Amino acid sequence: MEIDHSQPLEYSTEQNRLNILGFWIFLGAEIMLFATLFASYFTLVDRTGNGPTGAEIFEITPVLAETFLLLTSSFVIGLGIHAMRLGNKKAMLTFFIITLLLGLGFLGFEITEFITYYREGATLQTSGFTSMLFTTLGTHGAHVTLGLFWGLFIILQVKKRGLTPETANKSFIFSLYWHFLDIVWIFIFTFIYMKGMT
Amino acid sequence: MKELFPAKQVWGFVFSLILTVVALLVYFFNMSKATGMTIFILTAFIQAAVQLVVFMHARETDDSKSIFMTLYGAIFLALITVFGTILCMIWGWSY
Repeated sequence: MEIDHSQPLEYSTEQNRLNILGFWIFLGAEIMLFATLFASYFTLVDRTGNGPTGAEIFEITPVLAETFLLLTSSFVIGLGIHAMRLGNKKAMLTFFIITLLLGLGFLGFEITEFITYYREGATLQTSGFTSMLFTTLGTHGAHVTLGLFWGLFIILQVKKRGLTPETANKSFIFSLYWHFLDIVWIFIFTFIYMKGMT
Repeated sequence: MKELFPAKQVWGFVFSLILTVVALLVYFFNMSKATGMTIFILTAFIQAAVQLVVFMHARETDDSKSIFMTLYGAIFLALITVFGTILCMIWGWSY
């Protein structure tokens, strides 16, 4: 395996470069997945039947907390990758752990939010609106949950094996995934919550 | 400590926060539907672009062209899917 030292570690081999490109192509498919969810949500958003509307159940405080937590975690994992490029393993792992804790906080708020909706009589089966709302938010939340486990395994591996072309590559790809989840959240925040509340 | 906080990413984060606050202004102040929607579309897409370029380093590799072609393709299909669906299911077409 040829290691090109002029490149950052995560790009240093041909295989690494292709792994990253491949992951971008996967993210392209993920964009389409969320596009279909948004398309269905926009179609069903006014089909509230006997259930509540978005304006009735959405609350600004938890939504802002979730937005802030995820935005900050996306920034922190960016710092983690920067530290990785500096070869500072300790700082990188610290940033990655903070990222996952912020992600966990996000998930906590989202689960509480879902429980509140359930208590207010908005379940998956209440109306077209609520079913699509939970499907869209849930798909994003499931991605975050998966990301928490993925990130945890990345941290354990870097801790055990140190920064090698392989572990750096895996960490970088995980950071792409995490940033992507923040992008999806920006659209959820804007076009589901903000649009629903104004 | 300072080397761990690159200015580019710190400003990217600050800029993202500002864009979030701008979107919030629509919530706190009464605006017309069209103005609100315009602000939403601008803040969301600019913020997505900040993430891609500042945090995901999409422009820093030799594969940059392939990455952006993939992204443009995906975004194009996503927009067709979303607006095509809204056109068929909500807006309708009178002729």
